[in-house]
Amino acid sequence: MTVETLARTHLVSGPEPELWCRDLISCLQSTVAAVLARDGVDPLTVLGAGWRFLHLPGDVRHEEFYFPCPSGPDGEPDLGAALAPHHDLRARWWQPADEQDPWREIRTSLSEDRLVIAAVDNFHLPFRPAYGDVHAAHQVVVHGLDEARGIVHVSDAMPPAFRGAVPVETFLRSWGSENPTDVQDAFFSDSRIGRRCLDVRLGTPPPPLTPELLGGFLRCDVEHFTTAAAERTGLDGFDRFAAELLERCRAGDADALRELYPFGWAMQAQASLHGEFLRRCGGDWADPALTAAGRAVETAAHAWTGVRFTGAHGLGDPRAAVPDIARHITLLRNAYARAVDAVASVAARL
Amino acid sequence: MTGIVAPSAAQFQFDRVDISGHRNNVAISAATRTRDGAFNVWRNSYAAEYLPTGGSTVRVGGVPFTFPPVCDGPDNVRCEGQFIPVRRARYDWIHLLAASERRCEDTVGLDFADGTADAEPLRVSDFWAAPAWFGEIKAFESPAMHYPHHVQRGVPAVMWAQRVAVTRRADLTGILLPRNVAVHVFAVTLQRTER
Repeated sequence: MTVETLARTHLVSGPEPELWCRDLISCLQSTVAAVLARDGVDPLTVLGAGWRFLHLPGDVRHEEFYFPCPSGPDGEPDLGAALAPHHDLRARWWQPADEQDPWREIRTSLSEDRLVIAAVDNFHLPFRPAYGDVHAAHQVVVHGLDEARGIVHVSDAMPPAFRGAVPVETFLRSWGSENPTDVQDAFFSDSRIGRRCLDVRLGTPPPPLTPELLGGFLRCDVEHFTTAAAERTGLDGFDRFAAELLERCRAGDADALRELYPFGWAMQAQASLHGEFLRRCGGDWADPALTAAGRAVETAAHAWTGVRFTGAHGLGDPRAAVPDIARHITLLRNAYARAVDAVASVAARL
Repeated sequence: MTGIVAPSAAQFQFDRVDISGHRNNVAISAATRTRDGAFNVWRNSYAAEYLPTGGSTVRVGGVPFTFPPVCDGPDNVRCEGQFIPVRRARYDWIHLLAASERRCEDTVGLDFADGTADAEPLRVSDFWAAPAWFGEIKAFESPAMHYPHHVQRGVPAVMWAQRVAVTRRADLTGILLPRNVAVHVFAVTLQRTER
């Protein structure tokens, strides 16, 4: 291999990215988990440690990887802080600065031995089930770029899991897709991909987890859930979100249900990881009440299924869907309340 | 399989429940007509060639079920609050072949001859390449997922054998399914109370 060829080949060192997946998470959590695992950090410890509710009206995007994200201290949204409120995780979107050389930043990242998370349109990726069929915004991990051979090394933990090479031109079509409106996917189409990438960095490594440390996390989360704020956070924020959702459905606003699906996925995914994390801690520390609290949080995650899918199937007639959405909202609200109580109970003694 | 081993149920008595009048969804399709299926909101479906013959008797964990029709009209009950009358008797368990769009917890209503009623939990795991999260038995699996326009290898579709406890010692007369369109029921069998 010539020196020139080597200079055009950029591969992260070591093993290929870990395919980390759970049945309730999205490509957002699975790709961030791949970065964490590469840093030698257990993804569940970081992504499962915090649990929040946040709804930002008008903010929901039609993307599998949407996650509500408040502005950080510098006024810029920091997705890392939203995903992992108790850890030094930073995640920010960026786009290539030079349209003539869209690979420049990716080359740099890979040369620094860092994975790249890229937004893509499934329609253009041969390994996705939607290939050539349905436009949908998705995320994958890029772990290599071989410009000499014209291939990008991609990893995707979501079923059917894939690790392999994709032609550069194919990847560019997916990465730069307009992701136009697609009647087959009302929830993840109509959202321009725009060659976005997510830069994820873990600053201070997580300290060893102790019951005292976890207790601090949980007390913080309980305060979040039980304190009314200007933004739609916690149980009060849930009530405001739910009231508006039902009001919009009664008015026949189908966009309310188009937004519900990706927004609900974000909340469902985080709750499921938090519940799993607490159950694991409860098992490790022989603390049955902590295990039960984790299971209660998972019940809240499961209750999102009824809300999300009643809404999805009700897209054609939002008014008719109101009674069943209201029923599932009530079940979800009760599940949240019971879970917050259970977490508060264990947090008080940890 | 999930690794869960069910004890032999040969010594128990079972009543299979006729749910044919409630079927309202097509979840199983032939590879030549994948557009016919619409288990979930994306119109995915099970691949018929990997499933039992329609109307056949299948045993899962020792429990007999009547497998639904295959590629012959609706094959499952998408839960929308249907009430299913049952043969009046004492039962310990309601066995179900079921699957969900994402894992899900809800309740079924149980009506009894003495006028009492209970709500009991119904927990069903995702049909989409997912584990048996609630400890079900994996009843059937098609290793391919049907999409409206193609057959997708590598994404299995799973059907679970789940059960609901009948805790009340009274004659059961009917089952009220939840109003939850994520949950699909393919077959129901009741297990009589041991004498």
